[in-house]
Amino acid sequence: MKKKDSIIKGIVNSVLPVILAFAFGAIIIAAIGESPLETYGVLIRKSLLTEKGFMNTLHYASPLILTGLAIAITFKANLYNMGVEGQMLLGGFFAGITGAYLNISNPFISKLICFLVAIICGMLFALIPAILKAKCNVNEMVVTLMLNYAVSKTLEFLTTGVFKDKSAGYVATPTIKEDVMFKRFGASRMTMFFVIAMIILVIMYFVMKKSKLGYEITAIGKNPEFAEATGMNVGKKIIIMMLISGALSGIAGAGWMLSDQFKYTLTFSANPGLGWDGMLIALLGGHSPIGILIAAIFYAALKTGSDSINMYTAVPKEIVAIIQGMIILFLAVKFIGDKTSVFGRFKKAKKEDA
Amino acid sequence: MELLNSILYDTVYHSAPIILCVIGGIFAYKANVLNIALEGMMLNGAFISVLVEYLTGSVALAVIAAIVTTLLWGLVFSFLGITCNGNVIVIGLGINLIVPAIAKFVLKVMELANISLQDVGVADFKINIPGIKSIPLIGGIVSGHPVITYLAFIGIAAAAILMYKTKFGIYVRVVGENEDSAISLGLKTQKYKYIAVLIGAFCCALAGINLSMERMAMFTSDMTAGRGFIAIAAIYCGQGKPVQSSLYAILFGVARSLAVNLSVYAGPAAGMFDTIPYIIMVAVLAVVSFMKFKDVKVRGYKFD
Repeated sequence: MKKKDSIIKGIVNSVLPVILAFAFGAIIIAAIGESPLETYGVLIRKSLLTEKGFMNTLHYASPLILTGLAIAITFKANLYNMGVEGQMLLGGFFAGITGAYLNISNPFISKLICFLVAIICGMLFALIPAILKAKCNVNEMVVTLMLNYAVSKTLEFLTTGVFKDKSAGYVATPTIKEDVMFKRFGASRMTMFFVIAMIILVIMYFVMKKSKLGYEITAIGKNPEFAEATGMNVGKKIIIMMLISGALSGIAGAGWMLSDQFKYTLTFSANPGLGWDGMLIALLGGHSPIGILIAAIFYAALKTGSDSINMYTAVPKEIVAIIQGMIILFLAVKFIGDKTSVFGRFKKAKKEDA
Repeated sequence: MELLNSILYDTVYHSAPIILCVIGGIFAYKANVLNIALEGMMLNGAFISVLVEYLTGSVALAVIAAIVTTLLWGLVFSFLGITCNGNVIVIGLGINLIVPAIAKFVLKVMELANISLQDVGVADFKINIPGIKSIPLIGGIVSGHPVITYLAFIGIAAAAILMYKTKFGIYVRVVGENEDSAISLGLKTQKYKYIAVLIGAFCCALAGINLSMERMAMFTSDMTAGRGFIAIAAIYCGQGKPVQSSLYAILFGVARSLAVNLSVYAGPAAGMFDTIPYIIMVAVLAVVSFMKFKDVKVRGYKFD
């Protein structure tokens, strides 16, 4: 009975913000003189109800599932790893470089090497904040934010300088060899990468829900001092979690590179970035693997749908970004708390104030 | 000589908005409400000021509108984060996403790529200080900046006084350090947190106005380019102390100005100067924390 209760609470806490955000979005659309129903209709029809649209949605969801997992595994332990974006960029960049320069005729092995390179890059990035947090108790959020900028600036330099493809008319690294790229399924953009993402999702489900490590992550998130007192080596666990997060983001970057991008450009992960999107997905999915899968597909549908909005209606596609931002804002407030209802929360806050 | 002069001038020029964000953020930091929405609030100030000046032609109205709307974001942040007890980091991220989206949306609806102001120019905002202007070197650095740039540097002193010499500053720090004792002393902790966040919003609005209207007389989306996050890092490195945190902000100004001024000589490699402050900050954070915790003998994980 109690478990059922918490599931219902989880669903309400995730669905209510989405409904509220769409309601606000509808007001804005109505304010510029367009029909909200028609706009949302196009959004849903083009991204979920056609076969090609749905396959494209799954394609966009693949890297987001991985970055969402990368965020969830650290956020669940109250470890604010903001470096997923940087880890993913680093992984994607070097996977792209490897794919362009590597000379192996077997496409399977060359793909494998690309992924391994990306995983190592992501883990190396994650190791710096992990060690600083575990050994010196440096705030991981600030370090990862800083390193994100350092990485993106460095990659910008490498793309415009050392690894610039001279034949391209714009700033980009050399194109990956055709046989290293994933093949597309039919007319859509979907590739094997989605299958890989799903396999990793299943593995992470068992790691987070059924393994000892998953239990320890939850325990550290609830109370690190208690976890330490019961004999867990919290510092070591932090390093392990960060390494897993780094590896997952590395895979996300490499997969995005090999299934969609062909080369590293300065807009590789688009605005606001696959890593940042992953944060929203992890929050929306309540840090649980199944929640993340649903949230990633929902989010990717918004992304594919936003292009159709631009094409078929007069509403700018930025409306989708506004809705996404509002979802995050409302997600921050748990409408139904662990113990109290939303009204109880207000009462409690008032009491504290007095 | 001319190069040195322009490097120093640009240092002041690039430091000002970051310093404003830093002095805006330290009060929230000290009150234990981490405000990572600085970035979004700054962009709001930049956007609204240019938009209102573009629509009405009045600079005063633009400044007021920018400050009022940014304060509204501050209220949204405080209401969700303090009154409703939401996760402030997530709320901050949300605001950082919404503000640029709104700006882009409005630009699209108005069918503009960016807004550039016709009736006011950058030169109108520059203040040349008569006596100092003629002194070589110093005159070139100190004189010829817009109003808010001067306010930023005066603001460092003002923030230090407000933080350490007034009752308000002491209360804010008490609220941040130990909320339970603050409540037991009869302080209205929520009030102090609200005020701390709103001071931050006010300073961010000024930083935004400085960034868009005063320095460029135009607005482009994403023009804040991570300055709010830089300010947060500076606050952490300076542990929320006004002068130290501002010095880290100036460090970014120096690096930015080196990158801009040396790009003529070094080509794309000049962009690497931009990474130096980030790496210095990570190193500083590591050393500071190591010194603080080196005497703590707890196995593995250390608690603050």
